[in-house]
Amino acid sequence: MRGRGGARLRVGGGGSGGGGGGGGRAVDAMENFTALFGAQTEPPPPPPAALGFGPGKPPPPPPPPPGGGPGTVPPPAAAPAPPGSDKAAAGCGPFYLMRELPGSTELTGSTNLITHYNLEHAYNKFCGKKVKEKLSNFLPDLPGMIDLPGSHDNSSLRSLIEKPPILGGSFNPITGTMLAGFRLHAGPLPEQCRLMHIQPPKKKNKHKHKQSRAQDPVPPETPSDSDHKKKKKKKEEDPERKRKKKEKKKKKNRHSPEHPGMGSSQASSSSSLR
Amino acid sequence: MAEKFDHLEEHLEKFVENIRQLGIIVSDFQPSSQAGLNQKLNFIVTGLQDIDKCRQQLHDISVPLEVFEYIDQGRNPQLYTKECLERALAKNEQVKGKIDTMKKFKSLLIQELSKVFPEDMAKYRSIRGEDHPSS
Repeated sequence: MRGRGGARLRVGGGGSGGGGGGGGRAVDAMENFTALFGAQTEPPPPPPAALGFGPGKPPPPPPPPPGGGPGTVPPPAAAPAPPGSDKAAAGCGPFYLMRELPGSTELTGSTNLITHYNLEHAYNKFCGKKVKEKLSNFLPDLPGMIDLPGSHDNSSLRSLIEKPPILGGSFNPITGTMLAGFRLHAGPLPEQCRLMHIQPPKKKNKHKHKQSRAQDPVPPETPSDSDHKKKKKKKEEDPERKRKKKEKKKKKNRHSPEHPGMGSSQASSSSSLR
Repeated sequence: MAEKFDHLEEHLEKFVENIRQLGIIVSDFQPSSQAGLNQKLNFIVTGLQDIDKCRQQLHDISVPLEVFEYIDQGRNPQLYTKECLERALAKNEQVKGKIDTMKKFKSLLIQELSKVFPEDMAKYRSIRGEDHPSS
Protein backbone atom coordinates (compact mmCIF):
# COMPACT_ATOMS: atom_id res chain seq x y z
CA MET A 1 0.00 0.00 0.00
CA ARG A 2 2.81 2.28 0.77
CA GLY A 3 4.19 1.66 -2.67
CA ARG A 4 0.92 2.36 -4.35
CA GLY A 5 0.17 5.46 -2.35
CA GLY A 6 3.72 6.59 -2.70
CA ALA A 7 3.54 6.32 -6.44
CA ARG A 8 0.55 8.59 -6.53
CA LEU A 9 2.19 11.12 -4.25
CA ARG A 10 5.44 10.98 -6.11
CA VAL A 11 3.62 12.18 -9.15
CA GLY A 12 2.21 15.11 -7.24
CA GLY A 13 5.44 15.97 -5.48
CA GLY A 14 7.42 16.22 -8.64
CA GLY A 15 4.91 18.29 -10.59
CA SER A 16 3.35 21.35 -9.08
CA GLY A 17 4.96 24.06 -7.07
CA GLY A 18 1.97 24.09 -4.72
CA GLY A 19 3.42 21.15 -2.91
CA GLY A 20 6.71 22.86 -2.39
CA GLY A 21 6.21 23.33 1.35
CA GLY A 22 6.15 19.62 1.84
CA GLY A 23 8.65 18.97 -0.86
CA GLY A 24 11.70 19.09 1.37
CA ARG A 25 10.05 16.75 3.83
CA ALA A 26 9.06 14.49 1.02
CA VAL A 27 12.61 14.40 -0.16
CA ASP A 28 13.80 13.40 3.31
CA ALA A 29 11.26 10.67 3.43
CA MET A 30 12.22 9.61 0.00
CA GLU A 31 15.81 9.26 1.11
CA ASN A 32 14.72 7.08 3.97
CA PHE A 33 12.56 5.06 1.72
CA THR A 34 15.23 4.56 -0.91
CA ALA A 35 17.68 3.73 1.78
CA LEU A 36 15.34 1.08 3.06
CA PHE A 37 13.84 -0.27 -0.10
CA GLY A 38 16.07 0.99 -2.88
CA ALA A 39 17.81 -2.31 -3.41
CA GLN A 40 14.62 -4.28 -3.58
CA THR A 41 13.19 -5.17 -6.94
CA GLU A 42 10.02 -6.64 -5.44
CA PRO A 43 6.91 -4.51 -5.17
CA PRO A 44 7.11 -2.11 -2.26
CA PRO A 45 5.78 -3.43 1.05
CA PRO A 46 2.49 -2.31 2.49
CA PRO A 47 2.55 0.45 5.07
CA PRO A 48 2.71 -0.38 8.75
CA ALA A 49 -0.95 0.50 9.19
CA ALA A 50 -1.86 -2.37 6.93
CA LEU A 51 0.43 -4.64 8.92
CA GLY A 52 -1.52 -4.01 12.03
CA PHE A 53 1.12 -2.05 13.89
CA GLY A 54 -1.42 0.61 14.72
CA PRO A 55 -3.96 2.78 13.01
CA GLY A 56 -4.72 6.43 13.36
CA LYS A 57 -1.79 8.45 12.03
CA PRO A 58 -1.68 9.85 8.51
CA PRO A 59 0.53 8.16 5.94
CA PRO A 60 4.05 9.48 5.51
CA PRO A 61 5.16 11.83 2.79
CA PRO A 62 5.59 9.80 -0.34
CA PRO A 63 8.85 9.17 -2.08
CA PRO A 64 9.39 10.98 -5.34
CA PRO A 65 8.83 9.22 -8.60
CA PRO A 66 11.81 7.67 -10.23
CA GLY A 67 11.34 9.45 -13.47
CA GLY A 68 9.03 12.29 -12.63
CA GLY A 69 5.58 12.56 -14.15
CA PRO A 70 2.63 14.73 -14.77
CA GLY A 71 2.17 17.07 -11.89
CA THR A 72 -0.82 16.90 -9.60
CA VAL A 73 -1.44 18.63 -6.35
CA PRO A 74 -0.26 16.46 -3.49
CA PRO A 75 -2.88 15.48 -0.96
CA PRO A 76 -2.84 17.10 2.47
CA ALA A 77 -1.16 14.02 3.88
CA ALA A 78 2.01 15.19 2.24
CA ALA A 79 1.91 18.47 4.16
CA PRO A 80 4.42 18.89 7.01
CA ALA A 81 3.41 17.02 10.12
CA PRO A 82 3.24 18.69 13.51
CA PRO A 83 6.43 18.61 15.55
CA GLY A 84 5.06 16.10 18.06
CA SER A 85 4.39 13.49 15.44
CA ASP A 86 7.87 14.09 14.04
CA LYS A 87 9.38 13.05 17.34
CA ALA A 88 7.20 9.96 17.54
CA ALA A 89 8.08 9.01 14.01
CA ALA A 90 11.76 9.61 14.66
CA GLY A 91 11.66 7.30 17.69
CA CYS A 92 10.22 4.40 15.74
CA GLY A 93 12.22 4.72 12.53
CA PRO A 94 10.11 3.64 9.58
CA PHE A 95 7.32 2.43 11.83
CA TYR A 96 5.68 5.75 12.48
CA LEU A 97 2.31 4.18 13.31
CA MET A 98 3.63 2.06 16.12
CA ARG A 99 2.02 2.16 19.47
CA GLU A 100 3.20 1.13 22.85
CA LEU A 101 2.32 -2.46 23.58
CA PRO A 102 0.00 -3.02 26.52
CA GLY A 103 1.91 -3.78 29.66
CA SER A 104 2.17 -7.36 30.73
CA THR A 105 0.81 -6.44 34.15
CA GLU A 106 -2.47 -5.29 32.65
CA LEU A 107 -5.35 -7.61 33.55
CA THR A 108 -6.92 -9.12 30.45
CA GLY A 109 -9.16 -11.99 29.54
CA SER A 110 -6.13 -14.20 28.98
CA THR A 111 -5.94 -14.76 32.72
CA ASN A 112 -8.51 -16.82 34.55
CA LEU A 113 -10.45 -14.06 36.25
CA ILE A 114 -12.30 -16.43 38.58
CA THR A 115 -8.97 -17.55 40.00
CA HIS A 116 -7.60 -14.02 39.95
CA TYR A 117 -10.40 -12.74 42.16
CA ASN A 118 -10.35 -15.85 44.40
CA LEU A 119 -13.81 -16.94 43.40
CA GLU A 120 -13.06 -20.63 42.95
CA HIS A 121 -14.86 -21.45 46.17
CA ALA A 122 -17.97 -19.57 45.05
CA TYR A 123 -17.77 -21.16 41.61
CA ASN A 124 -17.51 -24.66 43.03
CA LYS A 125 -20.28 -23.93 45.49
CA PHE A 126 -22.80 -22.66 42.96
CA CYS A 127 -21.73 -24.37 39.76
CA GLY A 128 -20.36 -27.62 41.14
CA LYS A 129 -23.67 -28.91 42.45
CA LYS A 130 -27.25 -28.29 41.50
CA VAL A 131 -28.81 -25.23 43.11
CA LYS A 132 -32.44 -25.73 44.07
CA GLU A 133 -34.83 -23.66 42.02
CA LYS A 134 -37.33 -22.45 44.59
CA LEU A 135 -37.06 -19.44 46.82
CA SER A 136 -38.29 -21.51 49.77
CA ASN A 137 -35.12 -23.60 49.46
CA PHE A 138 -33.08 -20.44 49.99
CA LEU A 139 -35.30 -19.14 52.81
CA PRO A 140 -36.70 -22.30 54.39
CA ASP A 141 -37.80 -20.60 57.61
CA LEU A 142 -39.84 -17.86 56.00
CA PRO A 143 -43.57 -18.40 56.60
CA GLY A 144 -46.12 -18.24 53.81
CA MET A 145 -46.18 -19.25 50.17
CA ILE A 146 -43.05 -17.46 49.02
CA ASP A 147 -42.58 -19.52 45.87
CA LEU A 148 -45.50 -17.85 44.15
CA PRO A 149 -44.69 -14.89 41.90
CA GLY A 150 -44.82 -11.58 43.72
CA SER A 151 -47.13 -10.12 41.10
CA HIS A 152 -49.92 -12.46 42.31
CA ASP A 153 -50.35 -10.85 45.68
CA ASN A 154 -48.74 -7.52 44.79
CA SER A 155 -45.76 -8.23 47.03
CA SER A 156 -43.01 -7.91 44.45
CA LEU A 157 -39.77 -6.13 45.29
CA ARG A 158 -39.88 -4.47 41.89
CA SER A 159 -43.10 -2.68 42.87
CA LEU A 160 -41.39 -1.58 46.08
CA ILE A 161 -38.68 0.10 44.00
CA GLU A 162 -40.99 1.52 41.38
CA LYS A 163 -43.51 2.81 43.91
CA PRO A 164 -41.62 3.34 47.14
CA PRO A 165 -43.79 3.65 50.23
CA ILE A 166 -44.31 7.07 51.76
CA LEU A 167 -42.03 7.16 54.75
CA GLY A 168 -42.14 9.45 57.69
CA GLY A 169 -39.11 10.68 59.55
CA SER A 170 -38.88 7.83 62.04
CA PHE A 171 -40.72 4.89 63.58
CA ASN A 172 -42.49 5.89 66.76
CA PRO A 173 -43.91 3.47 69.30
CA ILE A 174 -47.68 3.13 69.37
CA THR A 175 -49.09 4.90 72.40
CA GLY A 176 -52.10 3.86 74.46
CA THR A 177 -54.63 5.94 72.57
CA MET A 178 -53.29 4.78 69.23
CA LEU A 179 -53.48 1.15 70.37
CA ALA A 180 -57.21 1.59 70.79
CA GLY A 181 -57.38 1.43 67.01
CA PHE A 182 -56.11 -2.14 67.14
CA ARG A 183 -58.91 -3.58 69.23
CA LEU A 184 -60.11 -6.61 67.34
CA HIS A 185 -63.31 -8.60 67.34
CA ALA A 186 -63.11 -12.04 68.83
CA GLY A 187 -63.28 -15.00 66.48
CA PRO A 188 -61.37 -16.63 63.67
CA LEU A 189 -60.38 -14.87 60.50
CA PRO A 190 -62.23 -15.60 57.30
CA GLU A 191 -60.55 -18.29 55.24
CA GLN A 192 -59.40 -16.01 52.45
CA CYS A 193 -57.30 -14.07 54.95
CA ARG A 194 -55.47 -17.13 56.28
CA LEU A 195 -52.99 -17.35 53.45
CA MET A 196 -50.13 -16.59 55.77
CA HIS A 197 -50.43 -19.91 57.57
CA ILE A 198 -50.35 -22.00 54.44
CA GLN A 199 -46.94 -23.54 54.10
CA PRO A 200 -45.61 -25.13 50.94
CA PRO A 201 -45.61 -28.94 51.18
CA LYS A 202 -42.21 -30.12 52.26
CA LYS A 203 -40.70 -33.20 50.73
CA LYS A 204 -40.28 -36.04 53.15
CA ASN A 205 -37.00 -37.79 53.53
CA LYS A 206 -37.05 -40.94 51.41
CA HIS A 207 -35.29 -43.01 54.02
CA LYS A 208 -37.78 -42.07 56.69
CA HIS A 209 -40.62 -42.77 54.32
CA LYS A 210 -39.42 -46.30 53.76
CA GLN A 211 -39.19 -46.92 57.47
CA SER A 212 -42.70 -45.67 58.06
CA ARG A 213 -43.97 -47.95 55.30
CA ALA A 214 -42.46 -50.95 56.96
CA GLN A 215 -43.79 -50.04 60.36
CA ASP A 216 -47.26 -48.78 59.50
CA PRO A 217 -49.91 -51.48 59.53
CA VAL A 218 -52.04 -49.55 57.02
CA PRO A 219 -49.75 -47.74 54.61
CA PRO A 220 -50.88 -44.64 52.71
CA GLU A 221 -52.42 -45.28 49.33
CA THR A 222 -49.74 -44.72 46.77
CA PRO A 223 -49.17 -46.41 43.41
CA SER A 224 -46.04 -48.07 44.71
CA ASP A 225 -47.96 -49.79 47.48
CA SER A 226 -49.70 -52.28 45.22
CA ASP A 227 -47.78 -55.16 46.81
CA HIS A 228 -49.13 -54.24 50.21
CA LYS A 229 -52.66 -54.26 48.86
CA LYS A 230 -52.22 -57.72 47.43
CA LYS A 231 -50.94 -58.98 50.74
CA LYS A 232 -53.86 -57.37 52.48
CA LYS A 233 -56.30 -59.07 50.11
CA LYS A 234 -54.66 -62.38 50.75
CA LYS A 235 -55.06 -61.84 54.45
CA GLU A 236 -58.73 -61.05 53.98
CA GLU A 237 -59.27 -64.16 51.89
CA ASP A 238 -57.56 -66.43 54.36
CA PRO A 239 -60.50 -67.02 56.77
CA GLU A 240 -62.78 -67.92 53.87
CA ARG A 241 -60.25 -70.39 52.56
CA LYS A 242 -59.89 -71.90 55.98
CA ARG A 243 -63.64 -72.45 56.13
CA LYS A 244 -63.64 -74.09 52.69
CA LYS A 245 -60.75 -76.29 53.68
CA LYS A 246 -62.55 -77.39 56.80
CA GLU A 247 -65.66 -78.23 54.84
CA LYS A 248 -63.64 -80.25 52.34
CA LYS A 249 -61.95 -82.11 55.13
CA LYS A 250 -65.26 -82.99 56.64
CA LYS A 251 -66.58 -84.21 53.28
CA LYS A 252 -63.47 -86.28 52.66
CA ASN A 253 -63.70 -87.80 56.08
CA ARG A 254 -67.29 -88.74 55.37
CA HIS A 255 -66.52 -90.27 51.98
CA SER A 256 -63.34 -92.11 52.95
CA PRO A 257 -63.72 -93.71 56.29
CA GLU A 258 -60.52 -95.68 55.67
CA HIS A 259 -58.45 -92.58 56.00
CA PRO A 260 -60.00 -90.61 58.80
CA GLY A 261 -56.81 -89.05 60.00
CA MET A 262 -55.66 -87.32 56.80
CA GLY A 263 -53.10 -84.65 57.62
CA SER A 264 -54.12 -81.07 57.43
CA SER A 265 -50.80 -80.30 55.81
CA GLN A 266 -51.68 -82.33 52.79
CA ALA A 267 -55.04 -80.66 52.51
CA SER A 268 -53.54 -77.29 52.71
CA SER A 269 -50.94 -78.18 50.11
CA SER A 270 -53.58 -79.44 47.74
CA SER A 271 -55.61 -76.30 48.17
CA SER A 272 -52.58 -74.23 47.59
CA LEU A 273 -51.91 -76.06 44.35
CA ARG A 274 -55.36 -75.14 43.19
CA MET B 1 -18.20 -6.83 56.65
CA ALA B 2 -20.01 -10.05 57.45
CA GLU B 3 -20.98 -8.72 60.89
CA LYS B 4 -23.11 -6.04 59.31
CA PHE B 5 -25.05 -8.62 57.36
CA ASP B 6 -25.36 -10.91 60.36
CA HIS B 7 -26.75 -8.04 62.35
CA LEU B 8 -29.34 -7.22 59.68
CA GLU B 9 -30.20 -10.89 59.21
CA GLU B 10 -30.78 -11.30 62.90
CA HIS B 11 -33.11 -8.30 63.03
CA LEU B 12 -34.98 -9.44 59.95
CA GLU B 13 -35.46 -12.92 61.39
CA LYS B 14 -36.79 -11.46 64.64
CA PHE B 15 -39.10 -9.20 62.70
CA VAL B 16 -40.45 -12.04 60.56
CA GLU B 17 -41.01 -14.15 63.65
CA ASN B 18 -42.90 -11.29 65.32
CA ILE B 19 -45.07 -10.89 62.25
CA ARG B 20 -45.77 -14.62 62.23
CA GLN B 21 -46.78 -14.59 65.89
CA LEU B 22 -48.94 -11.53 65.26
CA GLY B 23 -50.65 -13.41 62.46
CA ILE B 24 -51.38 -16.33 64.80
CA ILE B 25 -52.85 -14.02 67.44
CA VAL B 26 -55.01 -12.25 64.90
CA SER B 27 -56.14 -15.37 63.04
CA ASP B 28 -58.18 -16.55 66.01
CA PHE B 29 -58.45 -13.50 68.18
CA GLN B 30 -59.65 -13.75 71.75
CA PRO B 31 -60.42 -10.71 73.94
CA SER B 32 -57.83 -11.92 76.44
CA SER B 33 -55.07 -11.68 73.82
CA GLN B 34 -55.47 -7.94 73.34
CA ALA B 35 -52.53 -7.21 75.65
CA GLY B 36 -50.34 -9.64 73.71
CA LEU B 37 -51.42 -8.04 70.46
CA ASN B 38 -50.50 -4.58 71.72
CA GLN B 39 -47.11 -5.88 72.84
CA LYS B 40 -46.47 -7.50 69.49
CA LEU B 41 -47.40 -4.29 67.70
CA ASN B 42 -44.82 -2.39 69.68
CA PHE B 43 -42.26 -5.15 69.04
CA ILE B 44 -42.86 -4.62 65.36
CA VAL B 45 -42.23 -0.90 65.70
CA THR B 46 -38.97 -1.51 67.55
CA GLY B 47 -38.06 -4.16 64.99
CA LEU B 48 -38.54 -1.63 62.20
CA GLN B 49 -36.40 0.86 64.14
CA ASP B 50 -33.62 -1.72 64.45
CA ILE B 51 -33.74 -2.54 60.74
CA ASP B 52 -33.68 1.16 59.92
CA LYS B 53 -30.55 1.57 62.03
CA CYS B 54 -28.83 -1.15 59.98
CA ARG B 55 -29.42 0.93 56.88
CA GLN B 56 -26.64 3.34 57.86
CA GLN B 57 -24.06 0.55 57.92
CA LEU B 58 -25.10 -0.80 54.54
CA HIS B 59 -25.32 2.37 52.47
CA ASP B 60 -22.31 1.28 50.37
CA ILE B 61 -23.82 -2.07 49.44
CA SER B 62 -25.36 -2.29 46.01
CA VAL B 63 -27.62 -5.11 44.92
CA PRO B 64 -28.16 -5.94 41.25
CA LEU B 65 -31.74 -5.37 40.18
CA GLU B 66 -31.82 -8.74 38.43
CA VAL B 67 -31.72 -10.43 41.84
CA PHE B 68 -35.04 -8.83 42.69
CA GLU B 69 -36.53 -10.30 39.54
CA TYR B 70 -35.45 -13.76 40.64
CA ILE B 71 -37.00 -13.25 44.06
CA ASP B 72 -40.20 -11.82 42.59
CA GLN B 73 -40.55 -14.91 40.43
CA GLY B 74 -40.16 -17.16 43.48
CA ARG B 75 -36.76 -18.39 42.32
CA ASN B 76 -33.66 -18.97 44.36
CA PRO B 77 -31.42 -15.85 44.10
CA GLN B 78 -28.36 -18.12 44.23
CA LEU B 79 -29.27 -19.07 40.69
CA TYR B 80 -28.42 -15.52 39.68
CA THR B 81 -24.96 -15.85 41.25
CA LYS B 82 -24.52 -19.17 39.51
CA GLU B 83 -25.50 -17.78 36.13
CA CYS B 84 -23.25 -14.74 36.62
CA LEU B 85 -20.26 -16.93 37.37
CA GLU B 86 -20.99 -19.20 34.43
CA ARG B 87 -21.39 -16.24 32.09
CA ALA B 88 -18.16 -14.67 33.39
CA LEU B 89 -16.23 -17.88 32.83
CA ALA B 90 -17.67 -18.36 29.34
CA LYS B 91 -16.80 -14.79 28.37
CA ASN B 92 -13.36 -15.16 29.93
CA GLU B 93 -12.71 -18.25 27.82
CA GLN B 94 -14.02 -16.51 24.73
CA VAL B 95 -11.73 -13.50 25.21
CA LYS B 96 -8.79 -15.75 26.00
CA GLY B 97 -9.43 -17.59 22.75
CA LYS B 98 -9.43 -14.31 20.85
CA ILE B 99 -6.22 -13.15 22.50
CA ASP B 100 -4.49 -16.46 21.80
CA THR B 101 -5.62 -16.37 18.18
CA MET B 102 -4.38 -12.81 17.76
CA LYS B 103 -1.03 -13.77 19.29
CA LYS B 104 -0.71 -16.63 16.84
CA PHE B 105 -1.65 -14.30 14.01
CA LYS B 106 0.94 -11.76 15.12
CA SER B 107 3.72 -14.32 15.29
CA LEU B 108 2.81 -15.72 11.87
CA LEU B 109 2.61 -12.23 10.40
CA ILE B 110 6.00 -11.27 11.80
CA GLN B 111 7.42 -14.53 10.54
CA GLU B 112 6.14 -13.95 7.04
CA LEU B 113 7.05 -10.26 7.02
CA SER B 114 10.55 -11.13 8.10
CA LYS B 115 10.91 -13.20 4.96
CA VAL B 116 9.80 -10.33 2.71
CA PHE B 117 11.14 -7.31 4.64
CA PRO B 118 14.00 -8.66 6.71
CA GLU B 119 15.61 -5.26 7.35
CA ASP B 120 12.39 -3.58 8.38
CA MET B 121 11.46 -6.42 10.62
CA ALA B 122 14.89 -6.43 12.20
CA LYS B 123 14.36 -2.78 13.02
CA TYR B 124 10.92 -3.54 14.29
CA ARG B 125 12.26 -6.20 16.57
CA SER B 126 14.97 -3.96 17.83
CA ILE B 127 12.41 -1.26 18.63
CA ARG B 128 10.19 -3.74 20.36
CA GLY B 129 13.12 -5.26 22.14
CA GLU B 130 12.39 -8.69 20.70
CA ASP B 131 15.28 -10.77 19.46
CA HIS B 132 13.07 -13.49 18.07
CA PRO B 133 9.58 -13.38 16.70
CA SER B 134 7.11 -13.86 19.48
CA SER B 135 5.31 -17.17 19.38
